[in-house]
Amino acid sequence: MNLSDLINGGGPFGFLFILRIALVVILYLVILQIVGVARRDLRRAAAVAQIPGQARQVVGHLIVIDSGTTKIPLNSRMDIEPITTIGRAPTSSVVIDSGVVSTDHARITYRNRSLWVEDLGSHNGTYINGRKITGPTAVKPDDILQVGDVRFKFTV
Amino acid sequence: MASRRTIDLGRARRNFGALMDGHRYRWTELWLLLLPAAFMTISVLELSIVHTQPQIINRQTLPPLEAFGPALGLMAALIVAHLALNIFAPDADQTLLPIAGTLASIGVIMATRLGPDVGQNDLGFKQLLFVVVGLVICVVTVRLTRSLGWLRNYKYTWAVVGLGLVAVTLVSAIRSFNTNAPNRDVLSIGFGTGGLTFQPSELLKICLVIFFAGYLSENQEMLALARFKVGPFALPPLKHLGPLLVMLGVALLMIIGVRELGLALLIFGLFLSMLYVASNRPMYVVTSLILFAIGAIAAFGIFSYARARLDIMGSAFDPAVEPNQGYQIVQGLISFASGGVFGSGLGLGSPTITPAATTDYIAASFGEEFGFAGVLALIGLFLLLVYRGLSIAAQARDPFNKLMAVGLTAVFALQTLVILAGNLKVMPLTGVPLPFVAYGGSSVIANFIIIGLLLRLSESDT
Repeated sequence: MNLSDLINGGGPFGFLFILRIALVVILYLVILQIVGVARRDLRRAAAVAQIPGQARQVVGHLIVIDSGTTKIPLNSRMDIEPITTIGRAPTSSVVIDSGVVSTDHARITYRNRSLWVEDLGSHNGTYINGRKITGPTAVKPDDILQVGDVRFKFTV
Repeated sequence: MASRRTIDLGRARRNFGALMDGHRYRWTELWLLLLPAAFMTISVLELSIVHTQPQIINRQTLPPLEAFGPALGLMAALIVAHLALNIFAPDADQTLLPIAGTLASIGVIMATRLGPDVGQNDLGFKQLLFVVVGLVICVVTVRLTRSLGWLRNYKYTWAVVGLGLVAVTLVSAIRSFNTNAPNRDVLSIGFGTGGLTFQPSELLKICLVIFFAGYLSENQEMLALARFKVGPFALPPLKHLGPLLVMLGVALLMIIGVRELGLALLIFGLFLSMLYVASNRPMYVVTSLILFAIGAIAAFGIFSYARARLDIMGSAFDPAVEPNQGYQIVQGLISFASGGVFGSGLGLGSPTITPAATTDYIAASFGEEFGFAGVLALIGLFLLLVYRGLSIAAQARDPFNKLMAVGLTAVFALQTLVILAGNLKVMPLTGVPLPFVAYGGSSVIANFIIIGLLLRLSESDT
């Protein structure tokens, strides 16, 4: 078999045949590599979720129904964890960057299968359905929570 | 204004610094981009051997420069886009550009290969130009949408702009309303002797996704809770759906006016997927599908064009029916079949016998020369594109971002489904371009805008 036969692609091991197979193989390599990247991403996400003490239990959600003077997007959905703090402090679970919100403003806790909101001695108070709360107050879905000029709705 | 500029430059410089450190460098993306480059190199090698005398390889039959042009150009464009993304969106998804790049390189190679056969030697260069423009617009989109707020805030404007563009083409479409010729909504801009054509419906898709995402994210709670509650917000859902249904109805009517049935299907499909994700209520989808079925039956009754499409599909192989009616469909199937498992080899088939081999029937052309294995890989690439899009949606926290990612991904998924099913005679054939692969400027550019938006969405939520 001489060189020209090889290039001609007549035989099963012709040069053109090899090129043809190589093209299809490359397309599958692209797929394989991208699946590999996707797998790495998933593993990384799983690893983050498995760090002890970092496991997040979500017991409900807050929907922003009035962002007031803040830049929080309307309708954004925030997770409620068993202990959720709301305030101006950057360490709060829900950070509200507003002058009328205290550093540690309010806390939502999950006890006895229900959510409780308490004010942490804030300057302007915490309101549930328009009423200022004085002690730990149980809330149910669709109740309105107001902190400063931002209003949230509880949902499951 | 001046201060904002300084800040932006500062950020760009910091990112560029990180780029030099290699810390946040998008290595994965660069590595993945090597594969389309290899694909194009081998394709050009094979093409140049086939196009010259295949008997002997010697110095005279070395690959001519023209065949390398589009391939080299696309490699350079992808690398430049990769570098630009390192500066503008260093944390964005690293697989989107390589997937789109691989698909676009298939498109450029197929245009280069098919061009001479359909009498347009510079088809490959033209497609390269579209892809380069698309990549530039993709990077510009990533840069401009740093804050997605303005997209959301002007949602009605976007919808009206999209519909307005299509309305312009409606005028010429109405003139040929009662003929059975497939009518494309082409906007011709006189440009010397050449003339530039542009399909506004490609942009309509994106505009409608933005509108639906904006509207549904604002009314998400009412949609989901309307069944249960009679509170302050539990008004009848129809009232909240009003503007949405009006937009959808106007869009569908216009599209039927310009006779892009595939596009009507696409827009309705993306509306359904977004409505489902927003409301999480399968009943909405079921109701919409029933309405759609009624609408489709009515459309088949009214428009002879739609009826003709279905008839052609049913009787493609029937010699008793008007000869040559199903010519395109039959030739497309023969193309697929003659490809076999590994295809005839690039440049060794004769796919241009099928009408529209470079546009609507690009999948059949690809299938003939790359075979079943190649078509499966192509479908795999589209699946991965959809997978990445949906995982961006799953990671998004903001409902607007989530819905937008779902809608944009649905555009790719439905388009691929409609045209591949059409080529394989599973569905009536409608002229929807296969994303990135089919020859055509508007479609390639619109698809790169979608990639740009998805890149931005993937960065803003992780």
